[in-house]
Amino acid sequence: MNEALEEILDEFEEIEDRMEKFEFLHDLSDELNQLPTEEWTDSTRIDGCQSEAHVKVWIDSGLVQFRGGADASIVAGLMGIISIAVHGQTVEYVRALQPEFLARTGLLNSLTPSRSNGFRNIFSRVKIAIGE
Amino acid sequence: MVVPRTDFPILNREIHGKKLVYLDNAATTQKPKVVIDAMNNYYENYNSNVHRAVHLMAGEATDSYESCRTTLKNWFNAERAIFTSGTTEAINLAAHAWGKENLRSGDVVLMTEMEHHSDIVPWQLLADDLDIELRYIPVKEDFTLDLEAFDASLDGVKLVCIVHTSNVLGVRNPIEYVIEKSHSIGAKVLIDAAQGVPHKQIDFEKSGADFMAMSAHKMMGPTGIGALLVTEEIFQSMRPFMGGGDMIQTVTLKGSTYQDNEHKFEAGTPKIAEAIGWKAALDYMANIDLEAEHSRLVEIAKWTSSQLEDLGATIYGRYSEQDAAVVSFLFDNLHPEDLAHYLDAMGFAIRTGHHCAQPLLERLGVKGTARASFYLYNTMEEAVEFIEAVKYVLEKFG
Ligand SMILES: Cc1ncc(COP(=O)(O)O)c(C=O)c1O
Repeated sequence: MNEALEEILDEFEEIEDRMEKFEFLHDLSDELNQLPTEEWTDSTRIDGCQSEAHVKVWIDSGLVQFRGGADASIVAGLMGIISIAVHGQTVEYVRALQPEFLARTGLLNSLTPSRSNGFRNIFSRVKIAIGE
Repeated sequence: MVVPRTDFPILNREIHGKKLVYLDNAATTQKPKVVIDAMNNYYENYNSNVHRAVHLMAGEATDSYESCRTTLKNWFNAERAIFTSGTTEAINLAAHAWGKENLRSGDVVLMTEMEHHSDIVPWQLLADDLDIELRYIPVKEDFTLDLEAFDASLDGVKLVCIVHTSNVLGVRNPIEYVIEKSHSIGAKVLIDAAQGVPHKQIDFEKSGADFMAMSAHKMMGPTGIGALLVTEEIFQSMRPFMGGGDMIQTVTLKGSTYQDNEHKFEAGTPKIAEAIGWKAALDYMANIDLEAEHSRLVEIAKWTSSQLEDLGATIYGRYSEQDAAVVSFLFDNLHPEDLAHYLDAMGFAIRTGHHCAQPLLERLGVKGTARASFYLYNTMEEAVEFIEAVKYVLEKFG
């Protein structure tokens, strides 16, 4: 796991109050390279989010590129974490990364891949984009 | 009787270290201890299959299971009560067992824009098979049905399907008018009473409806069981669509004959513990002054909606006497999904999303709403706490 991601997950683990976790998450949406709304299309849409959530993932010179945008701030924050986890990392690194790290934020009420679990679906999109 | 909160063990639960305030009752209600105990008692003391064996426990299980049906028929004043897994299966049963037998190519099924997906999709599937026409009664700006449009859409209609009370708007529809008018042109009427029955003891026979669908879990009973109430006339015109054990009289390799009671439509081992739990819920409800409680809850909903409006929310619904205590709302500056997560962090359970009524939301011009729905164990204090929590979220994240 890269250092920036480690730091963030440590921080989440230190914060006990759930509302404070959300405030921290809120700020992480700033870390996200924005996918402008003009580029939101059916192919960028993430299913399973109640909000509009869009990501674009591609590979440039062997490094994973991640852009995202969402109208709900929590989803944007989660995208911020995923961006820190994968943006600019090598394909091999991202391939080895498992979505379970998200549980360390302590923010997931359910780990089941389901309609209401857009979080997992965003991560799956990354995996699909790198050919997994 | 005002419902003692101590009757509901789950209300003592903490959520993320905070006291639970459960406001997602339109999705499912909590269960009183008597319901949980009745189901446990069955599994601990007389678990057996029903209708089959002669041993003592089988007799006890059969009596308990069937006594739910008797209670249900008495509660709703219905001639026929067929157990299903819930409202959804009840409507699908009506579509298959009655619709397939009684509708012909070119017949019209009239629904409303307010229907839950459970009362749209079964008819769409049937339309694929039978070449029937589907029509929808529009919803007006004031969140009520356009009855003039209804009057004008009746040509060729054989079945009208209407939700008693909307799970999104809380609006209680004028089913009396719809039933009378539909019958005057010879159409049958199916009522989706999922959100109606938790709040009122409905007299099925007096209502004049031909079908009524419901789920136990929305009226303090367990999940996994519900019913389709039908008149004797409808019952006799239905044909089983699920075959198997329990529904037959005789089976030979040439063909079979069926039971002539409700079992005909309840193939396989039925929902025994669930029926026993549902009966306990109905008995529990019988001790509650539902009318007084309903007025109390509508007052709470009215107060909550006006407070939310003061905070800048748009409200989708109205709160007249017979409506349900369901408050759908949206803030411009706060996504409902975010709001629901923040409220969850503070112990409040609300629902967000399309509430399985996408055509209605499209009509309202929104993708989803936040919804707080109140039930018997909810208090005015909880509504006040809820508003305080929303204020806090708006200050922090709005
Ligand atoms: C109006 C209405 N109809 C039908 C249903 C479906 O009920 P069930 O999922 O119990 O079958 C619901 C439940 O959400 C409802 O509110």
